[in-house]
Amino acid sequence: MTPNGIATVAHQEFKLRIRAGRWRWLLGVWFAVLLLFTVLVTLAVEQIDDGQAKDTGIVIYGSLVLFVLGLSLLVVPALAAQSVNGDRERGTLATLQVTRLTAGDIAVGKLVDAWGTGIVFLLLTLPLVGYAMTRGGVTAGRVLVVTLVIALLLGTISAVSLCLSSLLSRTTTSGVLAYLAVFALTVGTLISFGLATAITTEKYTETSENHCPSRTDLPGMPTAEQDKILSGCLPGTQSFESTRARTDRTWWLLAPNPFVVVADAAPKIPAETAADRAARQAREERGQYQTELRDVDPLGSLGRSVRTLRDRPERGFTYSSEQQERKAVWPYGIAANVLLGVGAVWLTTRQLHTPSRVLPRGQRVA
Amino acid sequence: MTQMHPGDGVVATGVQRRFGAVEAVRGIDLTARPGEVTALVGPNGAGKTTLLLVLATLLVPDAGHVRVAGHDPITESDAVRARMGWSPDTFGLYDNLTSREYLEFVGAAMRLTKPAARTRAGELLELAHLVDKADAPVHTLSRGQKQRLGLSRALVHDPQVLLLDEPAAGLDPRARVELRNLLRQLAHDGAAVIVSSHLLGDLEELADRVVFVDRGVTVGEHRLDELPKGSQSRPWRLRALDMDVLVTALTRNGYDHDAPTPAGVDVRLANDEAAAALLAGLIRDGVPVVACQPLGGQLEATYLELTQ
Repeated sequence: MTPNGIATVAHQEFKLRIRAGRWRWLLGVWFAVLLLFTVLVTLAVEQIDDGQAKDTGIVIYGSLVLFVLGLSLLVVPALAAQSVNGDRERGTLATLQVTRLTAGDIAVGKLVDAWGTGIVFLLLTLPLVGYAMTRGGVTAGRVLVVTLVIALLLGTISAVSLCLSSLLSRTTTSGVLAYLAVFALTVGTLISFGLATAITTEKYTETSENHCPSRTDLPGMPTAEQDKILSGCLPGTQSFESTRARTDRTWWLLAPNPFVVVADAAPKIPAETAADRAARQAREERGQYQTELRDVDPLGSLGRSVRTLRDRPERGFTYSSEQQERKAVWPYGIAANVLLGVGAVWLTTRQLHTPSRVLPRGQRVA
Repeated sequence: MTQMHPGDGVVATGVQRRFGAVEAVRGIDLTARPGEVTALVGPNGAGKTTLLLVLATLLVPDAGHVRVAGHDPITESDAVRARMGWSPDTFGLYDNLTSREYLEFVGAAMRLTKPAARTRAGELLELAHLVDKADAPVHTLSRGQKQRLGLSRALVHDPQVLLLDEPAAGLDPRARVELRNLLRQLAHDGAAVIVSSHLLGDLEELADRVVFVDRGVTVGEHRLDELPKGSQSRPWRLRALDMDVLVTALTRNGYDHDAPTPAGVDVRLANDEAAAALLAGLIRDGVPVVACQPLGGQLEATYLELTQ
């Protein structure tokens, strides 16, 4: 594998891709949909905040990110899922394999092309992100990290789709499976987390000590009333059975979920400034309560709820104290996705290796 | 003709390859020397394409020993690829590229520098008579032009060994003559050329040697000028100024002949001697014979004899 070889393949694939499709249209529609979404979210936010709240960018940006991620997950599989078997069908793969390009050159070159195209789609959202930044609360650091993490996830999806196209001889099969892979990563992780949590829910016995008051604890009360209370109170320990979910054992099933990774990896929004807090408290003292947009940050709240799952249950339910620094989930998610992507590229390279010993069923070399 | 160097050209012995239950190649031996055109001839499904895939570093054989341009295509595939050009029976071209872009891309894939790839693409476009189509997308090319572009692709890195699977299929007569001349020129320049083809008439004028394969095994390997004189009879076609006189003479002398057509009347004859005797007899009888020629040529006769 050489940089030159990879560049040769990637350049060729990209050229063919541009010439084959109506890209101007596709990119135009993509941007139009995102623009419409941004406008609608902005209108919705303004409806809530009656023009007083600051940092509406937090909500606009957070919603936009989740929306873009969802749409990208629909676009990216199509970019690579017919790459290898499509070339086999057209008879162009073998003519590539007899050149001095290695299997790695071809696999990584094709990945660079599909991934790069996905990133073009992603970069097209930056003007809208810029708009969200002007509405306050969105830091450049957050935009940078979120964009990089989404780009990385698009790489994983590209690699998995590419791998499927090298494993299966029919382009329609690999196309369908690529979308199923995305489904598994998004909805599948959610379902498996839900089921695993239900299965691992455990019974536990909670004991509590009943402390009965004495008459001296109830001064000034008529004796008849005191008798009523004291007769109803049985001293000693009481125990009752209950169930509790052990999400501290199952949270990792959610970790590879792209939405979870992006939301949890997003840096926290900057803390409320002293001046803002004073102003808010002043308003609240006057009885003017209003939705604090920083509390409805879509990325932050999703991240927080996933982190909460990692807590060990205490006394049947999990305490969530905002002050407590919770352990992050995204490093596991990133690791899982990188591992998946690297494994997919490795397998693709192996499939592209020639001379080949075995061929997928129903497949001709040339 | 260049001198044969040990290890050059192509040597394959005892090659076997099966696909699942199908034994595509059961034992093919083949030698192709530099400076010669070797024809690979056999019925459909005889294993020609599979053998070429093995030689072209695309398939691992189940058994057998193979050397291409002095290297092992399985363990030294890159060394072989640097010295071997292969053109499949499918075009395998990218429709949306121009011929020039395509050849430059293959040049880059063969690790030529950019200027070298550009120069080479120019040379090959000239060689393939594609200069005026150089900047048109491939999907606008005719079948013959695509065929020539596919051949040019195999020549980008000036290979010592050239493997061509059905290069003349679908070419018009002029293109076939040009292809023949080109391949002869390449062989003359020292390349070992292997051509698989069903166009036996073309091969007869092109090839130096011929390897017959049938059902996955080599059934004959001959120099073209030393083809075994057929033991079986073959058809000869006769034509006379007066066909009725000819047919009457043939019937009278007890020759087994077909019904006459405008092209002539076909007679099965055992060998050249029988043909000479027939001709002498007809002329003696005053039949105005104007043509007497064997049908299909020696190669076809041998082919039909060796393959069932």
